[in-house]
Amino acid sequence: MKISRQLKTDIVGYTFIAPNLIGFLIFTLFPVAFSVVISFTDWDYTQGFNSMTFNWGKNFVEMWKDEWFVASLINTFYYSFAVVPATVFIALVLAVVIDKYVIGKTPVRLAMFMPYISNIVALSIVWVMMYSPYGPITQFVQSLGVENPPKWLGDFNWAMPAIIVMSIWAGVGYCIMIYTSAIQSLPTEQYEAAEIDGASEVQKFFKITIPMLSPTTFFLVITTFIASFQVFGQIMIMTRGGPGTSTSVLVHYVYTTAFSFYRMGYAAAISWILFIVLFIITIIQWQGQKKWVSYT
Amino acid sequence: MKAKRLGLMVLSALLTVMVFAGCSKSNSMGTTAPSEASQDTNTGKSDSKQSVKLKMWGAVPPEAGPQAVMDNFNKAFADQGISIEYERYVNDDQGNMKLETNLLAGNDIDIYVSYTLDGLKKRASGQMALDLTPYLEQDKIDLADSFGGAMATSYNIDGKSYAIPTKFDQFGIVLNKDMFDAAGIPIPTEWTMDEFREIAKKLTHGEGQEKVYGMFFNTQQDIFSSLNYFSVQVLGGDVFYKPGGKETNFTDPTIVKSTRTVADMMNVDKSAPTHVDSVTQKLTQEGMFLSGKSAMTIGPWMIRSIKDKVNFPHTFVTAFAPYPTPEKKANMFTQGGLGDLVSINPKSKNTDAAWTFLKWYATEGMLPLSQGGRVPAYKQFDKDSILQAFISGAEDILDAQTTKVVLIEPKTNYAVPSISNKLPEIRKVLGEELEKIYLANKTTETGLADAKKRADELLK
Repeated sequence: MKISRQLKTDIVGYTFIAPNLIGFLIFTLFPVAFSVVISFTDWDYTQGFNSMTFNWGKNFVEMWKDEWFVASLINTFYYSFAVVPATVFIALVLAVVIDKYVIGKTPVRLAMFMPYISNIVALSIVWVMMYSPYGPITQFVQSLGVENPPKWLGDFNWAMPAIIVMSIWAGVGYCIMIYTSAIQSLPTEQYEAAEIDGASEVQKFFKITIPMLSPTTFFLVITTFIASFQVFGQIMIMTRGGPGTSTSVLVHYVYTTAFSFYRMGYAAAISWILFIVLFIITIIQWQGQKKWVSYT
Repeated sequence: MKAKRLGLMVLSALLTVMVFAGCSKSNSMGTTAPSEASQDTNTGKSDSKQSVKLKMWGAVPPEAGPQAVMDNFNKAFADQGISIEYERYVNDDQGNMKLETNLLAGNDIDIYVSYTLDGLKKRASGQMALDLTPYLEQDKIDLADSFGGAMATSYNIDGKSYAIPTKFDQFGIVLNKDMFDAAGIPIPTEWTMDEFREIAKKLTHGEGQEKVYGMFFNTQQDIFSSLNYFSVQVLGGDVFYKPGGKETNFTDPTIVKSTRTVADMMNVDKSAPTHVDSVTQKLTQEGMFLSGKSAMTIGPWMIRSIKDKVNFPHTFVTAFAPYPTPEKKANMFTQGGLGDLVSINPKSKNTDAAWTFLKWYATEGMLPLSQGGRVPAYKQFDKDSILQAFISGAEDILDAQTTKVVLIEPKTNYAVPSISNKLPEIRKVLGEELEKIYLANKTTETGLADAKKRADELLK
């Protein structure tokens, strides 16, 4: 009797979550599971399911000899390890400065937040114009006395930094928002104590603000890392991975293999490598947090 | 506990079922498609007397001809109860994907146009195109005889015709006749790359934003001009490959020569915008040529814009010249081909009616598209009436003589591509190396040698 009652409540429970659960199963879990299956196949999806042939681990072995994949992987690391620390650090400094020294905080914060809620396509197109030879950035560099300013998006060495700068600008507003709310809930006792002891502003920032905000920093680092490993929009609009392979990143290469080369299986395999890399990085960060994050 | 385990079991069972259901369903879809299609053909025959509504998908904007074609057809075939409607898709990666998804999903589309042989091959082998051979035999239409010679059958796949190539493509350098006249240069009817380079130099003048370039290569959108338009005249349609297709041909002296000319014109003579300018400013043929910033440009596929005086106001006369050749040789190939490959969806319920339309379209209905710059391939069309339609509304800004000679009158020896082994990947490799050459990161020789080495690796 007891069990059947338990079962009854279970059924009621499942019925309540069914709409969501079914959607999740069909639109998330099934595609994820399916992508595991096709990552072990050769499949040109325009040829129907009959053309799907299993090649087991061949995709996963082959990709390390694929110069585009290796270049994209390296570029993804390059991009993320530049964007994430810079975004988080700049956001932290700006959040503190805005909180302490700026009159009319709300409009300033709003202005900073605008890029985050704007469409990445629009932002990219604006930045393409900014970087063009007659655009403000090139003109500004020229006015500083540089005779041959870099060609930015058309230059092998400068294209990635150009995109990185744009991405930092686009992402910093969100981090400022999170930091601001964290700063506002910080207790004031420590600051008062530090002031009595005669600590300077810089000392207070490094010894009190940064440690107390470490959980927020941790959250931001993890989430922006995950987002930056999946960068696509900027690259697609601004350079399409060029010149050469200098801005080719993993997600863009997945797109290329799937929709230009029609190699669905290989594309799925690369996505899974992307997932594994992200997973490892996230685990390392979780382990690392014991050393620097304080929850007091 | 027990209930929890039960729930888990149910859940995992559900999952397994879903995974397998997904697979088996799709498998059966794949195998039953042909028989379904043939059934549809049968029902189509009995249906054709009642009113039939067809749907055609193409990438040409309706106002550039297709709408007029549809109206003409609907008028002419009203008594047979067939009517047709046109829908535009955009001919880019996403647009083609949309078309294919619709074809795979069902019978909403009856007739559609493919714009590349690659695309058609994919669709033919994926059961997205009906084999037209029986219809052609039934109506005694010989593709090779009526549609551009041997070239037409090169669009067959495994000996079967999955499409009628309705458009005849012939390209050449687009030039600003007023600038040529002002410089006292006659419009070339035959020229080498060296002569071309000299002329471009002569036509270049001015500085900074005011500069007028001799030539614009449009490398931002198409970086392969040195092969696809220049070398192809010497090497033929499979310019990327050595005969047999097991090896690429990028170190061929012809390709080296034409690529170096392009690179030098951009970086040494500065008679053409560099690749950097092209990419960073997203230059277009319209923006350069039609605004008078370049005296020549790479190809007439922007003919619609040339004729469009409203959006691209200009008063100079546009003329055409054949592509310059890297070297002089007897029996040169002409850069040209057939396009607008019109196919029928095998899932269509009205394949007979669709064929009626397709036959009419290819042999007489297509003429209004000439206004949008498309030359019909069917040989019975009168060349002068094509010319008339082609330049109509722009008689004052299009040079009739060169338009007819370069773009409309058929030549004899066409460069026909036949190999497409690993082509997307090879194009990517070559594109990257050409980019390095044009950005002066590598010399032409090393760049092309590297391209060959990398591409040959892919062909192994």
